[in-house]
Amino acid sequence: MSTAKKSLEEAHALEGPPVLLGRPDDRALTESLLAPVLGPTRRGFLLLLLAAMAGMGFWLISLGVTLFVGIGAWGNNIPVAWAYDITNFVWWIGIGHAGTLISAILLLFQQKWRTSINRFAEAMTLFAVAMAGLYPIIHLGRPWLFWWLIPYPSTTQLWPNFKSALPWDVFAISTYATVSFLFWYLGLIPDLATMRDAAKGRTHRIVYGILSFGWRGSARHWQHYRIGYLLLAGLSTPLVVSVHTIVSFDFAISQLPGWHTTIFPPYFVAGAIFSGFAMVVTLMIPARKLLGYGAVVTERHLDNMAKVILATGLMVSYGYVMEHFIAWYSGSEPELFAFLNRWEGHYRYIWFMQLFCNVVAPQVFWFPSMRRNTLVLFVVSILVNIGMWSERFVIIVVSLSRDFIPSSWANYSPTWVDWGLLFGSISTFGVLFLLFLRFLPAIPIFEVKELRRELEHQGHGARAERVAEGSK
Amino acid sequence: MTSYVLGQFTEEAALLDAARVLRADGHAGIDLHSPYPLHGADEALGLKRSTVPLVALVAGVVGAATGYLLQWYTAALAWPLNVGNRPPHSSPAFIPVTFELGVLFAALAIFLGLLVAYFRFPRVHHPVFEVEAFRSASIDALWLSAEVDGREAERVAGELRRMGALQVSIVAEAK
Repeated sequence: MSTAKKSLEEAHALEGPPVLLGRPDDRALTESLLAPVLGPTRRGFLLLLLAAMAGMGFWLISLGVTLFVGIGAWGNNIPVAWAYDITNFVWWIGIGHAGTLISAILLLFQQKWRTSINRFAEAMTLFAVAMAGLYPIIHLGRPWLFWWLIPYPSTTQLWPNFKSALPWDVFAISTYATVSFLFWYLGLIPDLATMRDAAKGRTHRIVYGILSFGWRGSARHWQHYRIGYLLLAGLSTPLVVSVHTIVSFDFAISQLPGWHTTIFPPYFVAGAIFSGFAMVVTLMIPARKLLGYGAVVTERHLDNMAKVILATGLMVSYGYVMEHFIAWYSGSEPELFAFLNRWEGHYRYIWFMQLFCNVVAPQVFWFPSMRRNTLVLFVVSILVNIGMWSERFVIIVVSLSRDFIPSSWANYSPTWVDWGLLFGSISTFGVLFLLFLRFLPAIPIFEVKELRRELEHQGHGARAERVAEGSK
Repeated sequence: MTSYVLGQFTEEAALLDAARVLRADGHAGIDLHSPYPLHGADEALGLKRSTVPLVALVAGVVGAATGYLLQWYTAALAWPLNVGNRPPHSSPAFIPVTFELGVLFAALAIFLGLLVAYFRFPRVHHPVFEVEAFRSASIDALWLSAEVDGREAERVAGELRRMGALQVSIVAEAK
């Protein structure tokens, strides 16, 4: 074995598997990445879409009942005035955060492996935020008056109370939704132009021509484009941290035992990244298989995402330990009781499930073979999703159901409308995501081309070639 | 009458050289088209530093100021509401909305500024799109476009061929 080859092997061992496999030319790459979008509709896709739309029907019915009957159709009561609505809200918004993290923070840190999965993750963000944003609105009771939350000169001359966390939420969520959309769309423009140019049919050309606004790959445009895109990434990074911090303020600035803790902002942000990465993995594993993206979304991506899940899982576990420690250290009886109640109270099984899914299950990712086993990865990612939903349920419902005065204690149990709003929103998210996979390029084509140039310049070309030969 | 001369290149270096030569000849309307951002294009075209960061900064500051002033006016001036006996002008409580509006304004300014002011979009009918082969500019080819006077078009086209362009086309802009 020659020394050059040996050092190459060593470099390979250090860096892990490549982020790109093979060296198709740009045209072949474009065609393979656009095949799911420009090709004919497949039967499997239609079946999946139909199944998801059935779930969406359940969601629409539940929404309709909520609007006509009011929130009395839910299981909510006093003291449990927030239940599935806010649990679902926090769960979805947390899922959304991983998309921004992948596309913005990893871009700023120049993590090359981000390139293949960022568009996918951003779309997930957008749809997750759309699902999340609905719950605070419908839980208002009279959702058609939601615009009262916006400061505008009304005849009553009253304004929102900016000393409360709830108007902060309005600004945080609407800013987050807007900026996520702009970031996603700006990244899409060059690829929409590629679709316009690669499409054979007239309708495709016209529609994608309009959507790309007439992008012509001009160097004069690329110059501003790259700066603008980086700046949006730079803005999104503190934004994503601020949004989940503000969401955690909804709880942390209250006095309720179990909510009133200063650890909430960082612990919520870590939990958001944890659940969001799990959702990216849940969606990516089947999509990569079905759409043939194996060459651009490699083992390396899955491996790295598993590592992030492990790391954020440990942060979340630390949060659980710290919450208990502070409850004990505070010497406050209601605080201590709130945490004992998690272990022994009415909802203890949900707490045990949370511990199993969020603390125990991710530990398998210490083993590299588990991180690269798609089945294990898929199962654990679903467990993490369940675990993070349970966490929000435990924080919200368990804390509310046992507050300071025992005479006001009451348990909560969901109605079918609550279940409809939860499972229906998952289906609706699925519908949106399937449509995205069908009509828009899920892998950023121009970024993959640029990445390949960069890898070649760094001498990784030889390695890519070797891998391509090996796969023959 | 203005004409667009389009030439397709295979090598990045040849494309950038051609841009430099034409610019040295005194042509101002030179542009490069590529499926991904080209390294060295800014220098070859003699582009100045982008002003987008400045736009973002100004918009961000304006947004943050709007956010703070909005809260100060509504909470402390227009209708001071006593909530938990906290002062009407509670600056710490105003920080989240101030920050969010700063980010929102900056992001909107970047996006709309790029599209409308910097790119002059939407413009789905640009003369370069008249050439069918130009479709490859967003897929796998590198193109140079020169906006020149109609009488000079043939000469520039010859020069592009000499510098290694694979195919050259001339589009006369209908006015």
